Amino acid sequence: MNYSAAINTLSAVPTEAALLQVRDLHTHFITDSGTVKAVNGVSFDIDRGERIAIVGESGSGKSAMAMSLLRLLAYPGKVVSGEINLAGRDLNQMSERQLNQVRGREIGTIFQDPMASLDPVMRIADQMIPPIMRHLKMSQPKAREEAISWLTRVGIPDAGQRIDAYPFEMSGGMRQRVMIAMALSCRPKLVIADEPTTALDVTIQAQIVELLKELTDQTGTAMIFITHDLGLVARFAHKVGVMYAGKLIEFGPVKEIFAHPSHPYTQSLLDTIPPADQPEQRKLAQIPGFPPDMKLPVVGCAFKERCAAAHDRCFRETPELKSRGLGHRAACFLPEGLGEARQRDMEIIPSMMRNSSERVVVEVFNLQKHFTRSSLSPWKKPATVRAVNGISLNIREGETLGIVGESGCGKSTVARLLLGLDPVTSGDIFVDGMAQMVFQDPQSSFNPKMTLFDIIAEPLVVTGKGTKAERTARVYELLAQVGLDESYARRYPSQLSGGQRQRVAIARALAIKPSVVVADEPTSALDVSVRAQIINLMVDLKRQLRVSFVFISHDLLTVSYISDKIAVMYLGSIVEYGPADEIFRKPAHPYTQALIAAVPVPDPVAEEARVKVPLTGELPSPLDIPAGCAFASRCPKATALCRSERPTLQAYSGSREAACHYAN
Amino acid sequence: MTHETLALPVRSLPRLNWPSFQGANRLLTNGHVRAALAILVPILLLTIFRPLLPLPGPLETNLRGMMQPPSFEHPFGTDRMGRDLMSRTLAGVQISIFVGFAVAMVALCVGLIMGTLAGFFGGIVDRVMMAITDIFLAFPSLLLAIGLVSVMGTGMLPVVLAISLSDVPRFIRLQRSLVLSLRTRAYIDAARTVKASQFWLMTRHIVPNTIAPLLVATSIAAANAILVEAGLSFLGLGIMPPAPSLGNLIRDGQSYLEQAWWISTLPGIVILLIAIGLHFLSDGIRQVLDPRSRK
Repeated sequence: MNYSAAINTLSAVPTEAALLQVRDLHTHFITDSGTVKAVNGVSFDIDRGERIAIVGESGSGKSAMAMSLLRLLAYPGKVVSGEINLAGRDLNQMSERQLNQVRGREIGTIFQDPMASLDPVMRIADQMIPPIMRHLKMSQPKAREEAISWLTRVGIPDAGQRIDAYPFEMSGGMRQRVMIAMALSCRPKLVIADEPTTALDVTIQAQIVELLKELTDQTGTAMIFITHDLGLVARFAHKVGVMYAGKLIEFGPVKEIFAHPSHPYTQSLLDTIPPADQPEQRKLAQIPGFPPDMKLPVVGCAFKERCAAAHDRCFRETPELKSRGLGHRAACFLPEGLGEARQRDMEIIPSMMRNSSERVVVEVFNLQKHFTRSSLSPWKKPATVRAVNGISLNIREGETLGIVGESGCGKSTVARLLLGLDPVTSGDIFVDGMAQMVFQDPQSSFNPKMTLFDIIAEPLVVTGKGTKAERTARVYELLAQVGLDESYARRYPSQLSGGQRQRVAIARALAIKPSVVVADEPTSALDVSVRAQIINLMVDLKRQLRVSFVFISHDLLTVSYISDKIAVMYLGSIVEYGPADEIFRKPAHPYTQALIAAVPVPDPVAEEARVKVPLTGELPSPLDIPAGCAFASRCPKATALCRSERPTLQAYSGSREAACHYAN
Repeated sequence: MTHETLALPVRSLPRLNWPSFQGANRLLTNGHVRAALAILVPILLLTIFRPLLPLPGPLETNLRGMMQPPSFEHPFGTDRMGRDLMSRTLAGVQISIFVGFAVAMVALCVGLIMGTLAGFFGGIVDRVMMAITDIFLAFPSLLLAIGLVSVMGTGMLPVVLAISLSDVPRFIRLQRSLVLSLRTRAYIDAARTVKASQFWLMTRHIVPNTIAPLLVATSIAAANAILVEAGLSFLGLGIMPPAPSLGNLIRDGQSYLEQAWWISTLPGIVILLIAIGLHFLSDGIRQVLDPRSRK
């Protein structure tokens, strides 16, 4: 069915037959230190079979809004007022008992973390069958049949057997498939998916998104999809709602929003994404400031402090959602949003002079790391995990090497080996100078009992560099370099936002003037707008200080933006290695091709035109790496040769290397 | 979204340059801590200022005033040798508090050091230490203390040592588990990348982050030690008469329960109050330190 054509005509006039009508929804979290107005007057409609994406940064109230629809809020949360009309009945007026008839039966839910949303001590069958029996009034054997058919539909091989498995016997991707099967099994009219793919790898994410799209199309189920990933939205949704500070600030058909965003916030969000193809490297647009404190009343527009086009009316009046044509509505006084002030053409980063005579600061040769897991029973042979299986790399001064791959490919192990945190099994690592690290999780990277001053000074104190006065001066210098005020020195890590923590982590890493900084997923825990700030900072520092970076991430767009060279890893080996833009534009190895195809591009028109062949299957167990090419089990081009003989890294098109028999 | 994940902008937070002050403030506004202080502070004050009270000394006998019921002159009454029971009870409380405090300190210090070493170094050090603590943990603490006292003899020092010895393994276990969860934190790795010494890691990064939960355990251990000391003295194994202790006071009055209920009952109530007070205190500390339990 040509849905997008239909949607344009349908949504122009608000239809009577909307499946779900949300009117002026307010949700508050009542805490000791004040009432957080998480959802502050949200209204929208969903038609049957429609997929709506709700995007926003953490704290924008998007999850609180979605959970309010089912009144599934965590403790201090409460739906204060509003109407939630599902096919003519107001869910907000229902008792818990009535609501339990709706939950699962009429509205299904898929949560973010498939590890935590299935009961670990119950078999899949025990979690899936009773709801089907209750809601669809089926007998036990029929319900079991139904469950198995759903598991088959979501792509679980051998579903008849797997239904009796426990969740821990399944991978994250498989569990999320089970969650989808459970959510759809009672044939709900609406499914709420709260960041269903955030915890998954890109390739698995692509599979899950395709699956959800296919199934909702087949069953005519409407869907609310909460995400912070604008690329996914473009791939998936019919309509988009952008939330900011508890309000919908823009709502409309996906193509409209991406082609003509009219709220300054939406415009800024779209500009912060690293562009996939650009001849020269430009800085990323960033949104200054922080979202407002939701405990305080917001006077005027909530975005005014961060908006380049804000004028005095924005400080006095709160803009309402107004029609911009074609079902597109935005809450901004200005018809063009930022208009001229939009940071379209960012400053070009002059490319660094680079020649092959530059000093090599890191050289890795045939690096291997095996973990041996000895079994409790003495007669079993200890299992060996080949986490890193013979890789060779080099990094020159001032160069950034990106390492990409799915989780479990060994990229983080390489980082730990480079830093000397784990002993190598065999092979050589040569680092000229010191290696320092920026970690992924800003929560656990700092000792909560130390001030930022002590945190940044620690490497200097431990290595015994400088006098006390010199160290103090250095700490303030570093704080200035990462764009933080001197007053931050006395703060504690718990008083910082995620982006500020990552700045402090960078300052600490730079304290002893290392020759290489290893950054393991430094931006994946951050919101889009903050991510752009951190990436810009790293690009600046790299130029100013000529420090080399190793940038490890599963986010290909970011890696290709920031890196000079890329190493693509699969099951402990490098499968492709070479200049970043070349690899991104013309990947040689089928795995690189699949990874790039899986990356959602924030452009719905381009997304539609892309050939989507989601990589099938999952990473084989690193316990028994196949004899031939490790990728052969998932590769569309695999032949008998691939299964028997292992390809080595061979020169490809002069400047790079690829490990594939059929690259040339 | 739960309320913890709401991104709170930094500028709205108050500036704290002295977080311990804020911690103390939060402690004092906690209901459980207040209840604990309401119980413990009067008992402590009376114990400290006992010599100033118009009471005869705890060992002063008065054969003309034997087994007198509570009166204005003798608020807790007198025992079979005419000794003032309030004076004796407060002297017993003094011993109880000393024992509780001493045991808590010994258990805390030994547990902190041994637990940190076991958790941090792991391997053979850990295995040996865990094997030994498991042996101790296999005995009920009162039984272990009885055994040790009967070997080491009665009196204050053996009692403190015996009770500590049964508490130390618990502290080692606790500290070890705390250290294990901290050992893999990213900030430890960050310090290791600049080749920080093991001593630096333990003293700067690990121990400061285990103090809070250890304090909770310490206040429970103190309450437990007071009860065990009373138990030992009651059995005639702890503090020997005529020196008063809450345990032997109860034992003294046991034979006269029908004629003079107050001899056993009033010291018993005091033990109860102290134990309840310390448990309230540990509950309060835990609530303040653990944000998840705050509502």
